[in-house]
This record gives sequence, C-alpha cells and structure tokens, in this order.
Amino acid sequence: MAVESQRVEDFRLTKEPYYLPLGNEVELFEAAYSARLPVMLKGPTGCGKTRFVEHMSWRLSRTLVTVACHEDLTASDLVGKYTLRGDETIWQDGPLTTAVKAGGIAYLDEVVEARKDTTVVIHPLTDDRRVLSLEKKGEIVAAPDEFQLVISYNPGYQSVLKDLKHSTKQRFVAIEFDYPPPDLEESILISEAGIDSDTAAKLVKIGEKVRNLRTHGLEEGVSTRLLVYAGQLIQGGVEPIAACEATICKPITDDVEMQRSIVEIIATQF
Amino acid sequence: MTFGPAVGNVGMYVAREMLASVPEDQRQAYLRMVEEISDLKYQLGVEVARQLPRLLAEHDEDLVERYLRQVTDVAAAGWKSGVEVAKQLPDLYEAPDKSLAGAYVDIISRATAGPTEDTETTTLAGELDTLERELREMEPKVKRAQELRSQLAARDRRDEKRRKHAVELAAALPPILARLRPRFRPVYLRLVREVAAADPEASLEAADTLLDLLNGERVTPDGATNWVTRGLDVLERNKDVGRGYFRLGSKHSLDVLEDLKEGLALKEVARVLKLYATALSGHEVAIRGTNEMDGADPYAADHIVLPPEMRVFEDDSRNFTAYKVATAHGAGRIEFGTYIFSLSDIPATVAELRRRYPQEAR
Repeated sequence: MAVESQRVEDFRLTKEPYYLPLGNEVELFEAAYSARLPVMLKGPTGCGKTRFVEHMSWRLSRTLVTVACHEDLTASDLVGKYTLRGDETIWQDGPLTTAVKAGGIAYLDEVVEARKDTTVVIHPLTDDRRVLSLEKKGEIVAAPDEFQLVISYNPGYQSVLKDLKHSTKQRFVAIEFDYPPPDLEESILISEAGIDSDTAAKLVKIGEKVRNLRTHGLEEGVSTRLLVYAGQLIQGGVEPIAACEATICKPITDDVEMQRSIVEIIATQF
Repeated sequence: MTFGPAVGNVGMYVAREMLASVPEDQRQAYLRMVEEISDLKYQLGVEVARQLPRLLAEHDEDLVERYLRQVTDVAAAGWKSGVEVAKQLPDLYEAPDKSLAGAYVDIISRATAGPTEDTETTTLAGELDTLERELREMEPKVKRAQELRSQLAARDRRDEKRRKHAVELAAALPPILARLRPRFRPVYLRLVREVAAADPEASLEAADTLLDLLNGERVTPDGATNWVTRGLDVLERNKDVGRGYFRLGSKHSLDVLEDLKEGLALKEVARVLKLYATALSGHEVAIRGTNEMDGADPYAADHIVLPPEMRVFEDDSRNFTAYKVATAHGAGRIEFGTYIFSLSDIPATVAELRRRYPQEAR
C-alpha cells in the first residue's frame, strides 16, 4: 500500500518574516522549543500571533505547517486518511503527521474551533510521550526532538460552549499577546505599510482610541493587521479617511452609530 | 308544450294541444278571448283556455259570449268562484233544462258577493280610509322624530363623555403644570385651553405631549402653537384621528413635528457622541442633556452635559460638528482629570512640580 506525504520543503520559509518583538516572547519560545514543550499563543485577532510563529519557524530553521482550524475539522483531517487513487488505496498523511515526520513546527490556528476529537490526537504529542497515533493505520509515529506543536487561541471569542478544556490548556506554555504599545505599533506600520512616521502615528492613535470602545459595543478593537491595511491603502494613494473607513471602521462593526463614531475619531486625525 | 311569445301573453298558458283542438278559423278569436279574460286573473285565463275549445266547437257565438260574460260577472265578485264556474258551466249548458246554467250562475254570484253593504259599514269604511290616509301623512313626521331622538341621545352620550374627560383633565393638569418649566406656562396653558374647548379627551393627550415637547425643547413655543393649530384642523375633521394626532400617535403628527423642529436633537446623536467621548477619553462616558440633570453635578467625571438641541447652525451637519466639539472638550477634561482635581491635592502637586522643575521653582 502506498503512502503519500506532502513535500516538506513546500513548508519551509525562505525569507525572514518581519516581526518586532514586544517583550520576551522570542526568548520564551526558544526556551520552550529547546525543552520540547508545546506552546499556546493567546491574544486578540490581528495582533501578530501567526507572524510570530512564522518568524520563529524561520529563526529556528524549521518547516512550518499551519492549519487554520474550523468547526468541521476532524482528527482524520489532521493525521491523515485512506483515499482511492485509481485502483489503489493509498494513505495520505495529514498536515500534523507531515509536520511530525519532518520534525517541523505544527501550528494549529484557532484550535478551539476544531472538533473535540482533535484533542485526542493532540494530547499524546504534548506530554512526555511526544507521539502521534495513526489509529486507522495502526501506527504510532514518534515525534523527533525538532518537532514542536503550537496552537493559537483567542480568549475573546470563546463561549461556554466553545472553550479549551483545562486538561488541554494545561499542557502548553502560554505566551500572551496584545496590541503593541504605540511606539512599536508605529514602527510596525512604517515597516509593513511603507508609510511615513506621521501617518503611522495618526493610525496608531486611531487604533488606540477605537480600542477604547471594546466592551462598549465592539467585540474586538481594531487590530494591528487592519492598521497595516489602512497604511497600505494610504500608501497606494487612497485618501486617508476613505482608507480608514474601509479598513478600520467597516470590517469591525455593522452598527451604524458605532461606525459613525469611529469615522468621527478617524476625522480627528486626518 | 306551451306557445311562446309568438302568441303573446296567452302563450304562457295555452297548450299546443288546446290550440290544435280549436277550429283554425277561430284560433285568433280564441287567443284574444283567453287573453282578455286572463287580464282579470291568470288562473281564470287557464281554466277558460281549457273550456273554450269545447264551446267553440259548437259554432255558437252567443253561447261563447254568454259563457265569457257569466264567468266574468262571477269573477268580479270573487276570482276563485269565477274559476270554478268557468270549469262547471260548459256541462250545465248541455243540460236539457236550459235555465239551470243561469240559475247556477246567479246563486254563485250572490253567494260570492254577499248582501249589499249597509250604511254603517260604509261609514266605518270611510272612517278607516281617512285614518289610513292621515297615518300615511304622519309617517315622515314619525321618522323624523325617531331621527331627532337618536341624535339627541348621541349628544347626551357625547356630553356625558365630555364631562367625564373634563374631570380627568381636572385631575391630570395640576401635576403636569408642576413639572412644566415656568417660562413655558403661558403658551402651554393657552394651547391646552384651545384643545380642551374643542375636545377634552384630545386635550388630555395634548397636555402630556405638549409637556414633553416644550420641556424637552423639541419645539419652540411658536412651533408648539403651529403644531396645535394643525392638530385642531385634524380634530375638526375626525375626532378619533385628531386625538391620535395629539397623542403623537399618527404619522402626520410626527411629520408636522419634524417640519417644525429646529436644530439637531441631542437624543438623535447621543449614542454616537457617547461612543466618541468614550473612545477619545478611554473612560465610559455618559451624555446627558441639560434638561435631564435633576440636580446632578454638571462637572462630574462620568458624563458630559450638552444642550438638548443644537441650533447654532441651520444645517444638522454643522450642528453635529458643534456637538462634537463640545463633546471632545468634555472628553478632554475627563481624560486629563480636570474634574477630579481637588484643592487638597495642591500641596502634593506643588511638591511634584518643585521636584520636576527645580530651576523654575527657585
């Protein structure tokens, strides 16, 4: 019976992803990697969790297999399954198996969205066993020392029905992220959007003010990612207020009055 | 089978078989006779149509004429007797004693007509005729009297209702007046008086609505007067619709109010301003109208006090900008702690300034 794996080299980053450390997260991650401990990244949307993992993958020279988890994602989708190819039945490794075999970093983004059965395959990888059970194949794959499991988790999204169990949470080293402080966020915008420091400072100010509306009708504040989008549109020639409306105001709320108040905040800067 | 319109009305009750039994040269005469007698009564025509062919077959015109006359005479006294005589007479004509038919007709005619009316009967009948004529003449008056009775009863009910609403107004007005701002009292009293004179029930609604409109400064006194004037027009056309108008329960009423409104109402933009101030200051800030203070501290650090309407500019856009400037000003005071500064903080503040700026402090 044939076995098919995805090409590991496809997952290797060839260029250093830009990442500006906000604290000791790089050191923490490196220490966890050395100790072969799984890592959980916590933080709001668009604050740089995925970019951080990419950066660490490049920094540690490991392949990075990212899985965007969703509510239909099953354990089989992660570990692999049998499929028909012509007259032959072949086993196809899932992304988690690919990462384990390659000794890379497996990054399960928003893991809480996936089905509950995925935790069954995650747990043996996160303790001292460090193995992946391919139940359908009757095989156990031992993770090499270079392998690391990273999950991300946005506490703001979770509800009573959808939350990580404590038995899962307590298997990870947690690194908490938040929106960067103004001076760092400004540097990020300058670097990522290519805008001047004055425009970056204004965008950061807008972000700061809009984030004050969290818990007042906004589920989440405006992310650094959206501020980068705004900067990129401005850099591309879009009028600043229009760029901010399209990237900062409209995506984060459908509440007309909330949108209007955000537009007024934008207007105080541009 | 009967003949249709081709034989006129007679066709309704002359069967084809009957007509066929009449000699052809006598058919027109037969139809005419039946038609004439049927003018007296339909049933009489039917019976004569049945019997005449038998008589016509005798070719004795006198006999036919006698038959028709005798039947007509008896029918004049009573048509049912006429029908029976029309049926029996042809047989009697054939009796050997030719006087039998005449005597039979005489008996039946008398029996049907009865004795000749006496004077008393004639008098009673005349009196009855007169009374019936007078009663017919009275009918329109009776009808009119009933109409007037209904109208007066409705007015009584309306007046009763009016008095009931006047009592309710009497109870409701004093507490409303106590809540009304003194400067609006003259115009308020005038307007409520106008509505009360037209309809006390509508004035109950108007009293409440005008209180809110004037106290909330949603309309000027002139605007309120205009609103009431237009409402009175509606009330005159239809009481129920008019009451709805003064309750602000009709689209027309709200439209009129919207037309009369001057400036931008705070309540329309309060949430936007609240979010704006909260975003700017980083603190939860409430927006309150000067009319909602009820003794609260206007300089507290958790709210910004603004006028209930902004009428600085003609257009709402610039009035909103005016609100925004005032809100940003208030948010600035809240963000930087202007309102939480206390005189007891002065020594510590001076010491801090002395520490921070030692050169200048000397």
